[in-house]
Amino acid sequence: MSLLRAGMRAMMIVATVLGLTSAPLLAEMAQPSGNVILTVTGKIGETNAEGAARFDLEMLQDLPATQIRTTTIWTTGEKTFVGVSLDTFLKAIDAQGSHLRATAINDYAVEIPVTDAAPGGPIIAYLQNGEEMSVRNKGPLWIVYPYDSSSDFRTEVIYSRSIWQLDRIVVHD
Amino acid sequence: MRKGWTLRRQGYTVLLTAALLCIMAIVSLTQAVSRDLDLLESANSDNVQWTLSQAEVEYLSFERSLDHALAARSVSRDQIQRGFDIFYSRITTLETGSLYKDLRNTAEFNQALANIRVFLDGNVDLIDRLDSATEAEMLQLETDAEALSNDVRHLSTSGLYYFAKLSDNQRESISVSLMRLAFVTTSLIAALGLLAYYSHWMGQQTERSKRELEAAYTRLNTVVNASLDAVIVSDYQGRVLDFNKAAEKIFGYSLDQVLGLPLADFLIPPDLRNRHREGIARMNLTGETRVVGHGRIELRAMRANEEVFPCELALESAGSGKDRIVIGFLRDITSVKAAEQELVEARDHALAGEKAKADFLAVMTHEIRTPLNGVLGNLSLLEGTKLNDRQTRFAQNMQISARQLMAHVDAVLDIARYEAGKHSVRRAPTDLGAMLQDIVASQSGYAAANRNTLSSRWEGEPPGWVMADAAQVQQVLLNLVGNAIKFTHGGQITLEAECLDAPAPQTARIEFRVIDTGIGIAEADQARIFNDFQTVDASYQRSAGGTGLGLGIVQRLVHGMGGELGVESEPGEGSVFWVRLDFAQTAEPETRVAYDSVRSGSRSLQVLAVEDNEINLQILQEHLALLGHTVSVAHNGQEGVDAAAATRFDAIFMDISMPVMDGLEAARRIRAGGGASHDVPIIALSANVLPEMRERITQAGMTGFVGKPYQQQDLLNVLDPLSEDAPANPASNSPQPGVLSELQDRFERETDELLDWLETLPEDHAEIAARSHMVAGSAAAFGNLDLRNGLIRLEQAAEQRAERAVLERHIAEVRQIWSDA
Repeated sequence: MSLLRAGMRAMMIVATVLGLTSAPLLAEMAQPSGNVILTVTGKIGETNAEGAARFDLEMLQDLPATQIRTTTIWTTGEKTFVGVSLDTFLKAIDAQGSHLRATAINDYAVEIPVTDAAPGGPIIAYLQNGEEMSVRNKGPLWIVYPYDSSSDFRTEVIYSRSIWQLDRIVVHD
Repeated sequence: MRKGWTLRRQGYTVLLTAALLCIMAIVSLTQAVSRDLDLLESANSDNVQWTLSQAEVEYLSFERSLDHALAARSVSRDQIQRGFDIFYSRITTLETGSLYKDLRNTAEFNQALANIRVFLDGNVDLIDRLDSATEAEMLQLETDAEALSNDVRHLSTSGLYYFAKLSDNQRESISVSLMRLAFVTTSLIAALGLLAYYSHWMGQQTERSKRELEAAYTRLNTVVNASLDAVIVSDYQGRVLDFNKAAEKIFGYSLDQVLGLPLADFLIPPDLRNRHREGIARMNLTGETRVVGHGRIELRAMRANEEVFPCELALESAGSGKDRIVIGFLRDITSVKAAEQELVEARDHALAGEKAKADFLAVMTHEIRTPLNGVLGNLSLLEGTKLNDRQTRFAQNMQISARQLMAHVDAVLDIARYEAGKHSVRRAPTDLGAMLQDIVASQSGYAAANRNTLSSRWEGEPPGWVMADAAQVQQVLLNLVGNAIKFTHGGQITLEAECLDAPAPQTARIEFRVIDTGIGIAEADQARIFNDFQTVDASYQRSAGGTGLGLGIVQRLVHGMGGELGVESEPGEGSVFWVRLDFAQTAEPETRVAYDSVRSGSRSLQVLAVEDNEINLQILQEHLALLGHTVSVAHNGQEGVDAAAATRFDAIFMDISMPVMDGLEAARRIRAGGGASHDVPIIALSANVLPEMRERITQAGMTGFVGKPYQQQDLLNVLDPLSEDAPANPASNSPQPGVLSELQDRFERETDELLDWLETLPEDHAEIAARSHMVAGSAAAFGNLDLRNGLIRLEQAAEQRAERAVLERHIAEVRQIWSDA
């Protein structure tokens, strides 16, 4: 069952706030002005530091946003998550590897294949029910999959990839 | 067959249903297992144990950072804060995650979670302002955090225990599902096994049926090929499907040559092909068949050498529509037909022979009687002339011989009559006793001539009066008695009669026995003596005389009257001929009916003679005058009717073939007219002595018959019973010698006149016929039979309005005969 079709059947609502264009999103990658909450290293084409792309919340919010409405096994009730779809994000940093090594503040780390990054797939969420997420509430960044849209997203592997308190990503092969 | 099939079908249905149910169960169970597996796969647990233990790890990490901070080992407040936040996040996850919902229902886990929540809520403010926290507050935080270690421990252990149990349950559930699946799968395999066995069994059945069918087919094939009849099977379009050995032999084609060919192209004669094609079209279109299923018919067929031969054919069809086949059974009946033809020809020959014999008998007797009567008539007349003793003796000898000859001819005529089945039995009240006495009386002289004594007697009581055809019974007995006398010399002949047990009331069964003490008949000869022209000893026949027809006539008469006869004899001892006849009993009639007996008295009678032929009329007048009777004449039927109406005669002699009105019509009118002579005897005079004519005469109301030419005795015989007194002696009346020569002259003159007239080529056919007839009658009377026959042929040709040339040929013939005479 293709992810696309599954997505259409789900309660998930994918809203494209900005047009999804293939043109370079950042002509010259900006420097973060606030707290850096995510650092990407490894095989990437776009950087704003030595071998790394560093993001504050504002920079992430500048990227096209995607909304997912779903329940999760870690929370109660249906939640609305807004964030950058992983697909969009990887294109923004011109990721060239096949895998992502995502690591959380608590050093929890997980491997995510780049193939997961597809339209209708996971997002790097920064809003939950319209509010920023604190570390106590699994923030500030949480990779959320549209679990309700397909049983394919309700597997142990996907749950393990749903890393919260995300702060580092290494792109590699 | 049909029933077995149904059973088999039912078996299949049951097994298939079972298999289907199994498959459905398997599908459903597989879904259940899949669901279970899905549950496992969905892994709501997210590595729950890890999460739970991670809670402890994060708690310990937080606690250590606190410890380090208190020991002032350069731990930043941020680190404490982050450890708290991470722990907080973890606990929130445990509190809100749907994954831990069931776990939260366990008291221990819930209590631990509640205790931790108290700690978190109680210290969250402190953590948020950690930089300004006092030493005491930090110590308190450290103490509180340490106190939490047991709860965090419980959190993970209770979770571990719970999830272990949950996992067990899940395993068990999957195990049950798998067990069920295994059971159903086993059932399915068993069902499939049964199905396989059943299929195998069915296969065997089918194999056996096949073998039986093959055997039946072989048998049928043998039968078909052994058949002497050709067996041809064709499809619905008349194309050959099979052609057996007999067919190959009859038609001269082999099966290979004709397989698939339309019958119309080679088996059916060209002239019948269209009908055949029409028949096939009709059968296929309407289903109507005119030959198929209608039994055996005869047709023609054609061999390879194009010989068309007759055959007998029966067609049957089986199936319908395009599956219809027609089976033909065909028999070559060429030889049968030939044999049939031969039989028909043989029968036709036999019939023609029979007819020829009958015709020959009738014609010959007629042709013999006619001249013989001429002889006798002339002898009668001759005796009336003046003769010396030798001449008288010669004349008498001639008369005896002629009469004997006449008797034989009459016997043959009788046979012909009986053969034609034309004689009928005419019963009248009869006194059998008197009849026996009369027979004895009449035959006594003849018996005495052979030195025999003849007597009659009744064994038991005579039956009284019975209804009998007296003439026939008398003839039977006379023949038997005559025979007995003939074959007995110096012996005794007894005519015996006896009433046997009556077959029904008011009837009498009489057995007549003619017993003689003569030469007897050998047993071997007894059966054939009743056959015509049979005498026991050809040499004896000559001495005894006789045609050998006597017993044949007796047999026919007896059978005609519904009786039976037989003979018992011992050579040298004598014979007994017996006759059994049934009669109805009757009362004695008021007036006794005279049966034919020879009487010798006569009185002078008033007689009317109706005859168109002048010569015949004169001969008749002459004879009647000689017998002492008074004769009035009429020249045709009408004159006869008029005369009979005016005058009361004692008897009327009536010619049959006459102009104006024939004798039959005249007799009918006289009977119907109520004139003076309407009830007197009318005696027919005719040259036609065949039985048909006798019948017509009787039907016209005539009472007697004298065949032409006749003798004086014939006239005497019919007139005698009518004249009761005044004995007359016909011989004493001398005939006039001049009359005959006068008549002869006249006959010759008439003949010459006729021929002269015919020379003038007259056109009037009726007159030619009438004048020819007239002279023919005279010619017969004078014994010129050739002339008579020639004239009759001319007469018939004229009556049929034959062409001139035909008439001239007959005339030339007559002229030739006349000039030869």
